[in-house]
Amino acid sequence: MINKTLFLRESKAGLRLLLIFFAVLTMYATMIIAMFDPKLGDSLAQMAQSMPTLFAAFGMLNVGATLGEFMGNYLYGFLLTVMPLIFIAMLANRLVVRYVESGSMAYLLATPNRRGRLVRTQALVLLTGTLLLLLLNLLVCIVTAQAISPGQLDIPAFLRLNVGLYGLHVFLGGLCFFAACLFNDSRTSLGVGAGLGVLFLLVQMLSQVGDKFEVLKYATPYTLFTPIGLLEGRGSAVAGMLCLYAVGAALYAVAVAVFCKRDLPV
Amino acid sequence: MKIIETKGLTKDYGGGRGVFGLDFEVNEGEVMGFLGPNGAGKTTTIRQLMGFIQPNAGSATVFGLPCFEQAAQIQKDLGYLPGEPAFMNDMTGTAFLHFLAQMKGLKSFARAQQLMQQFELDATAKIGRMSKGTKQKVGIVAAFMASPRLLVLDEPTSGLDPLMQNRFIELILQEKQRGATILMSSHIFEEVERTCDRTVIIRAGHIVAVEQMEELRRTKRKTFATQFAAPADAAAFAAAWGREKATVNGDTVKLTVTGSPDAFLKQVAAYPVKDLELHRESLEELFLHYYGAENGGQKA
Repeated sequence: MINKTLFLRESKAGLRLLLIFFAVLTMYATMIIAMFDPKLGDSLAQMAQSMPTLFAAFGMLNVGATLGEFMGNYLYGFLLTVMPLIFIAMLANRLVVRYVESGSMAYLLATPNRRGRLVRTQALVLLTGTLLLLLLNLLVCIVTAQAISPGQLDIPAFLRLNVGLYGLHVFLGGLCFFAACLFNDSRTSLGVGAGLGVLFLLVQMLSQVGDKFEVLKYATPYTLFTPIGLLEGRGSAVAGMLCLYAVGAALYAVAVAVFCKRDLPV
Repeated sequence: MKIIETKGLTKDYGGGRGVFGLDFEVNEGEVMGFLGPNGAGKTTTIRQLMGFIQPNAGSATVFGLPCFEQAAQIQKDLGYLPGEPAFMNDMTGTAFLHFLAQMKGLKSFARAQQLMQQFELDATAKIGRMSKGTKQKVGIVAAFMASPRLLVLDEPTSGLDPLMQNRFIELILQEKQRGATILMSSHIFEEVERTCDRTVIIRAGHIVAVEQMEELRRTKRKTFATQFAAPADAAAFAAAWGREKATVNGDTVKLTVTGSPDAFLKQVAAYPVKDLELHRESLEELFLHYYGAENGGQKA
């Protein structure tokens, strides 16, 4: 189904990118977790009241009573959606369209491997790379939370939140991977893949700022990812998560099919 | 056995670009040249043989298998050198060749090492930092290292210095001895002339001829520019050949000879000669006289 040699080579090549993003996420995550303090919460709430629109856009209007909710709002509401998206867009680009653009895809195709097998391997590299980044982040979050505020984090609920986050990134990965398989040049691929990802995010931010724009939440898949809902284990949040996984998987499947059929100018 | 066969192979990119209705075949053990000016459709044809792109009409088969649908199966016994080799720039040449050997399921790296020696290739540097010529050598090793049944080579000597071009021609002749079938595109007549049994000549997307090499050699023209010791000698020599064939410029005579230069050499030997230069015919000039004005009038 996949090619082990190619998988290992791509994993190795992508490792540095992953470590850079991991370092940045670690910095943010530890900083935000360290900020949690029920007393500081009051002053944050005051600050939020003074700039309600801005805080609402980033999903940070409610400080959250527990450490889990605080992280759900301040970390999972924006930073952990946008940073991995950039990682995914860059990796997807490297794995497919950059090889087509440079012509080195010819060398992969000039081996006795079906296109499907090659491109499925690349998809798996993207999926495991994303998973690894989120797992490492999860680990950092739990360890930091336990170190700073021992026993305050509801671990099972927090794990549920992270399963949901991976769902969101499976979806975004599917989007970026599809663009990377469809186009011949990086610019278009990044523009469409990452561009749509960012556009959806902006629509979500806009939908959060007031009743006037609330209807926009139906126009962005980010609505399907609700950190607080996942922490509370709400049925609608779990359904949204499953939806993201399903659409993401479908996008990956379509990307593979498109790549197998199309002309490659290499 | 026909190793490559195309029937009415067409890929239309619009605006007259592409290839149209190509019919040719390459037999087992044959070295086939694929000659045409830049932009004639050589690479487009090769991409179809490699299964990178699908034809709009017609068919292409390799080992009797359809090129697009059975690409992976065909690649088991095919070595390919792209026109502009592009590799994974973050790898060293050696790492890339090992990676490729594994992707091809190659058991032994011995042949690759032998080829690297033959081409004096030091592949320890990162590919991104290699010169064009060094990259070309990496491409050559990659194409030949599996000793495949069929080699498809797109402009194989571009970027190589004359010494390495000669090594490459030796390599082709070795592979021919081994029994490999080779399709080799070029816009340089000489490298095809020295290696190929037959050649397909393509121009503006159409095949103009599939010729035995011998036939091409016979009709090929050479121009000799002879500088005589005295202008009077030049005039006398030119007069003997006739004004339409020889042109005089002071002490120098330009004379065009088709086929064997024997008669010219014997005659010029009677005079004191200061210098003699041979101008080989360019591909465009070859087309011009070989296919006459109806084809050759327009520049390719």
